[in-house]
Amino acid sequence: MDNIKIAATERSPELDFNFETNTFSLKGESYPEDVTDFFGNALKSLESHLEGLDGATIKFTFELIYFNSSSAKILMSLFDMLEETAEEGNTINIEWIYEADDDNMEELGEEFGEDLESANFKMKAIEG
Amino acid sequence: MSFDLFEKEVRTIERGKTLLESGTIADEEAAKEYKKLHSSYKKLFKMTKRLVKMSDRNEEKLNKLAQTLEEKSTMLEGLSKKLAKYLSPQIYQSIFSGEKDVSLTTQRKKLTVYFSDIKNFTQTTEDLQPEDLTYLLNSYFTEMSKIALKHGATIDKFIGDAMLMFFGDPDTKGVREDARACVLMAIEMQQRMDDLKKVWFEKGYEHPFEMRVGINTGYCNVGNFGSEERMDYTIIGGEVNLAARLESSAAPGGILMSYETYALVKDLVETESREPIQVKGIRREVKPYAVTGILEGNDRNRRVIRQGYTGFDLFLNMDKLSDEDRKKAKHDLSTALDQLGD
Repeated sequence: MDNIKIAATERSPELDFNFETNTFSLKGESYPEDVTDFFGNALKSLESHLEGLDGATIKFTFELIYFNSSSAKILMSLFDMLEETAEEGNTINIEWIYEADDDNMEELGEEFGEDLESANFKMKAIEG
Repeated sequence: MSFDLFEKEVRTIERGKTLLESGTIADEEAAKEYKKLHSSYKKLFKMTKRLVKMSDRNEEKLNKLAQTLEEKSTMLEGLSKKLAKYLSPQIYQSIFSGEKDVSLTTQRKKLTVYFSDIKNFTQTTEDLQPEDLTYLLNSYFTEMSKIALKHGATIDKFIGDAMLMFFGDPDTKGVREDARACVLMAIEMQQRMDDLKKVWFEKGYEHPFEMRVGINTGYCNVGNFGSEERMDYTIIGGEVNLAARLESSAAPGGILMSYETYALVKDLVETESREPIQVKGIRREVKPYAVTGILEGNDRNRRVIRQGYTGFDLFLNMDKLSDEDRKKAKHDLSTALDQLGD
């Protein structure tokens, strides 16, 4: 599967999906005009990639500054997908990076992490 | 009484759980499917709660941001209002509307230039206390500025006791109308000075200000002069110097204009020609015209009357008279008229 790399814009995050190394990341702000248009293909590709994995180790990094409600729905779907992949015998390491003074992003990370049982979840504060 | 926003959803989940635990769904497949649906509903409920919470949080952040922006905007508005007082309103408007660039650019335009100062200002004011001088200057500039803005002048600057104004930029009604507006403004200013002189005299200023005015129409360079860090929107050129030169040749309380201005206003004002003068930087001989009156029927509305001689002393300032005192003054004047007889 071809890797996907989309540069960040004012309204959309940098999306870096490397299917060869199983490293994935979303970085920046996310309030695209059409959220399905922005995430649609990448998410479908990821879903079909994850379905075929067995005993793999995957790293997913989230480093978001702001996201809107539609992007939040995408993130929840992503977490679901990753949790299911972990339940199927893969190692999923999720890293939630947030700016140290951003209570909102910290709280959101904590909430997303609460739902995970099989996937590993780590929070990391960085200086803004 | 407590209220849970999601009470209904919580009850639905509880009902589903009870049903699943009761084992009343006999069909095993149906029970399995029901369990899946129940789990999906729980997940969906969690997602809804999270989205609502997130949406509220974002809204709160946006509201705070909007409030900060409003505060900043109010502060900027106040600041720009203060700064506006340092600029002529037309210049301020054209900069704030984006019509004019704040850069060192100039253009040539035919303008009518007004220049005035106070005759013998230094001698007149040397015996005055600084507070009195401040009062006189501020009331003089305030009154003159009011009239200038009424007629649409661009107030360039106050230089000590002198004023430089022009008509034709940034707004213009055409060269002729600009010149006429300038001359009418100068006449109203001199009339107001007459009134002010009476007020000042009454207040104890023995030698009130007398203003001289010079007006000229011609091509000037207008725009931003100075440096990129500090610039002035002003006019330069020989025609500006000519207005200043005419001013210095004008009689106290008088208005002297060049032929170029005279040609544009001769049907508007009564004039008398004066001896030609030579001005440095202007090759032609300048023939000045003194304004002696207005031809149009725009009688001025006198606000102050001061007359005094042996046995008679009258000082009337309409601006200071309350409605009640006005009635009283009318009564007193009527009594005086009766006393005077026919």
